Amino acid sequence: MPALATTRRFTVDEYYRMAEVGILEPGERLELIEGEIVRMAAIGSKHAACVNRLNRHFARALGSRVLIVIQNPVRLSDRSEPEPDVTLVRPRPDDYSGSHPGPEDVLLLIEVAEATVDFDRDVKAPLYASAGIAEYWLVDIPAERVQIFTEPGEAGYGGSRAHGRDEMLRPAAFPDLEVSVDAILP
Amino acid sequence: MPSALTTRRFTVDEYHRMAEVGVLAPGERVELIDGKIVTVAAIGSRHAACVDLFTPLLVEDVGREVRVRIRNPVRLGDSSELELDVALVRLRPDHYAEGHPRPSDVLLVIEVADTTVDLDRDVKAPLYAAASIPEYCLVDLPSDALKVHRDPTAGAYGHIRQLRRGDHVRPWALPELEVAVSEVLA
Repeated sequence: MPALATTRRFTVDEYYRMAEVGILEPGERLELIEGEIVRMAAIGSKHAACVNRLNRHFARALGSRVLIVIQNPVRLSDRSEPEPDVTLVRPRPDDYSGSHPGPEDVLLLIEVAEATVDFDRDVKAPLYASAGIAEYWLVDIPAERVQIFTEPGEAGYGGSRAHGRDEMLRPAAFPDLEVSVDAILP
Repeated sequence: MPSALTTRRFTVDEYHRMAEVGVLAPGERVELIDGKIVTVAAIGSRHAACVDLFTPLLVEDVGREVRVRIRNPVRLGDSSELELDVALVRLRPDHYAEGHPRPSDVLLVIEVADTTVDLDRDVKAPLYAAASIPEYCLVDLPSDALKVHRDPTAGAYGHIRQLRRGDHVRPWALPELEVAVSEVLA
């Protein structure tokens, strides 16, 4: 259907207004992607465990060098506000209470995918790339690997590499840091 | 967007609320089709002329029990509200001031398509059939033809006729009225 009709896309302001007036309910797990309001998949326990491990690992390794944001909004533009699984952002005195982090605040963005690998690769990767997110990790649980996307551009990420269980990952923003794929995957 | 299942769809009530609170602006030309809000194409002059040709023919013959509605909303179930070019609706004492017509009020739908033939044929026809609208006439301007759909059963019209200039048709709801196809093709 969408190919035949032009979808009315929403801005972040309109999205927030809908939530304010109760059109979107508080319990709904939603993201705004290029003006479309999208339901997030329910989180299975493997997905959750992955997020927990990433959280713990980065907290121990980086301490106050970053703020670790778990499944909270990142405002990419006036049409996109996803809620990535794990986002490492620059610390800010107000802890972003004044406004959600934007692309310029993001040091590393990670999505964990159990049932949504296609979406996280084919829709979110280009989205993050065009917003200028320097490095995007996609933890692909079914394939037991982590895909690292780099070189963001308008047309998508220029670089992409998959890493299996036996490999170590080194975020560009923290060259001294090593994360074992095996330690992240459930 | 890879999966239609992930899009947050809206009910007619939510759609109305959006207009009420200003998320949808007063002048916006939109429709709700199967839970998705879509923008309506601007009306070309040939399209407008066609609608104008139908009006006097129908108005003359409708009598006391039926009314002609031009480009006003019709609510189809909980997920769709469309602005039909021409609809023949049962007369109601309040003239639908209390609420837009529902499918059971609609005797005939006429859509004129210049740039939207595919949409009107592939998306809207099944919607009208599913709502049991007795007759749907699609004026296909690029093909210079009328496509008359009747016998809605299980989400599809069982009887479809293609008519060209030189042919005549009698609306199911107004059997005494004979319309020459060439009269209504602008």
